[in-house]
Amino acid sequence: MSNHALTLGGRRNGYGLFLALCLVTFVNLVPLLWAVLTSLKHPADAFTIPPTIVFEPTLDYHRKVWFENDFFRFLTNSLIVSLSTVAISVPIGSFAAYALSRIPRRSAGPILSVLFTIRMFPHMLLAIPFFVMGTFLNMIDSYPLLILALVAINQPFTVWLMHGFFLDIPRDLDEAAAIDGCNAWQAFRIVILPLARPGMTVAALFSLLLSYNEFLFALVLTGAKTKTLPVAIASFGGEDVSAWSLSAAGAIGIMLPIVVIMVILQRHLVRGLTAGAVKG
Amino acid sequence: MAPLTIRQATKSFGALKVLHGVDVNIEDGEFVVLVGPSGCGKSTLLRLIAGLEDMTSGDILIDGRVVTGLHPKDRDIAMVFQSYALYPHMTVAENMGFSLRMQNVPPEERARKVNAAAEILDLTPLLERYPKQLSGGQRQRVAMGRAIVRDPKVFLFDEPLSNLDAKLRVQMRAEIRQLHKQLKTTIVYVTHDQIEAMTMADKIVVMRGGHIEQIGTPLDLYDRPANTFVAGFIGSPSMNILPGEIDPGGLSFSSAKGTRIVLTQPLEYGVGQRVFLGLRPEDFELSQDGFEAVVRLVEPTGAELHVTLAAGDEILTAVFHGRPDIEEGATIRVAVATRKLHLFDRETTLRLGARPAAHGEPDGSERQS
Repeated sequence: MSNHALTLGGRRNGYGLFLALCLVTFVNLVPLLWAVLTSLKHPADAFTIPPTIVFEPTLDYHRKVWFENDFFRFLTNSLIVSLSTVAISVPIGSFAAYALSRIPRRSAGPILSVLFTIRMFPHMLLAIPFFVMGTFLNMIDSYPLLILALVAINQPFTVWLMHGFFLDIPRDLDEAAAIDGCNAWQAFRIVILPLARPGMTVAALFSLLLSYNEFLFALVLTGAKTKTLPVAIASFGGEDVSAWSLSAAGAIGIMLPIVVIMVILQRHLVRGLTAGAVKG
Repeated sequence: MAPLTIRQATKSFGALKVLHGVDVNIEDGEFVVLVGPSGCGKSTLLRLIAGLEDMTSGDILIDGRVVTGLHPKDRDIAMVFQSYALYPHMTVAENMGFSLRMQNVPPEERARKVNAAAEILDLTPLLERYPKQLSGGQRQRVAMGRAIVRDPKVFLFDEPLSNLDAKLRVQMRAEIRQLHKQLKTTIVYVTHDQIEAMTMADKIVVMRGGHIEQIGTPLDLYDRPANTFVAGFIGSPSMNILPGEIDPGGLSFSSAKGTRIVLTQPLEYGVGQRVFLGLRPEDFELSQDGFEAVVRLVEPTGAELHVTLAAGDEILTAVFHGRPDIEEGATIRVAVATRKLHLFDRETTLRLGARPAAHGEPDGSERQS
């Protein structure tokens, strides 16, 4: 938003809007802040009502999470699964998205609607058939099973996301490439794909986020060997009060790798999202 | 350089037929312009030649070879798009050399050809720039350069000047014409602008509703339009076309709105017939032997005076050269020489007879520019 737009109703309106946005952001961040504070408190401090603001912080629980609970093994599993999901779903999704952007809208519309409907299925509904298939194929607690399941359930979203970006690339470029000597694959690879990079980056990051955070499928399809972080951290909680600080530390621990990745790739994410928005 | 033949080209999009069995013969090295209103099928025809659309039926031959059904890259054509279609992620040099890269031409030869084309089009200082760093006119030239580098048998232009401002358009028209003289390649050029067609073409194909209305040289179309559509389309301002009848004796014309136009000389054909009378604005002369008209509007352009006249209930446009003393609201007498009249049949809208040249006078010798 430009400064001009912010001050459209005058400087006071601009400041008012800014303060309102700060308040909304703060409210949304409260659970996160709570988790951070809880992870730094001893259990006794964590459960006082009213909440203790002044306390003696401790890094004990963070240390326990990272070094005494196999955190790195679960993190590795999570990264293997989520990065593989992205590596498979984004390229395949880009083929589908490109094709859908080039066929007549009246044909593409129903296909996109079907994809979207699949996306709306509750995960609970889909987890069971995957579990049955996995048991039958003896693939429970294996990376391929979870990766394929995540690719399947995230694909509609990645296709839909990239479809919008491919639509923005003018068809004239495909035609110019055809006249210049490209067959369909060459036109896609050399001319179209480089221009779709912002869209593919956004799709990759969203796909990474969705697959990294996936809990239900991971719970159902993994075991001791391939357990991912969300499943592992969930077991830190429970009725034992003293485990809550550990749980909070675990939650922060899960977030950190993704936050680091997002911060590094923030520029690409913003560029990709706003490029789509401006062109409409 | 190659002749191009289009035989019975038909194109339908589902139930909608956009081209109805069109035939065009283009000579080797000719500059042919396809012109017509929006939706007439000219761009579709161009895309059929390029191979970007499949023909429903018919054939296209380039240099005697049937190219119907061939992929665009196998037709030996090059195209300049209305939007230029430059690859945004490649430099000007890479854009221009792209087709050679696809043909696996070695880098040194590629560079040589790109540099040669860049010199012709004055693009040498811009070779390392990206399309977004160029102006509209520069992008247009890069698009042409990309086409030239291919050294094709036929150049195809799809309304390339539409996105340019008026002044640049005039300049680029001349440049394209100059390029044609230099390269002598067959060109098929699509435009909706009849002035572009008139100034650039060796031959014009006027199209409407998927049919060809007339094919001819610019002056052919101007002097002898085959029907009222071509008559009204070619020439700016448009020809005045009045429905009515030639009075018995051939000495005057009575329009459907009751205006009587006296003729300078008796007409030898069309007498007593229901016709359309065509009067080009630039053929009007101030004459005491003419018919009366009230001046509604005077628009000076500097070199000319565009005058809107009311003759009875008929509204006419006239163009006078120089600066005659004509004031709005005044009543003047104007006439159009009989030999400059155009007559069309009322029912078929087709031209009636040959335009009567005065005896011994070659057509067009008295034409004003």
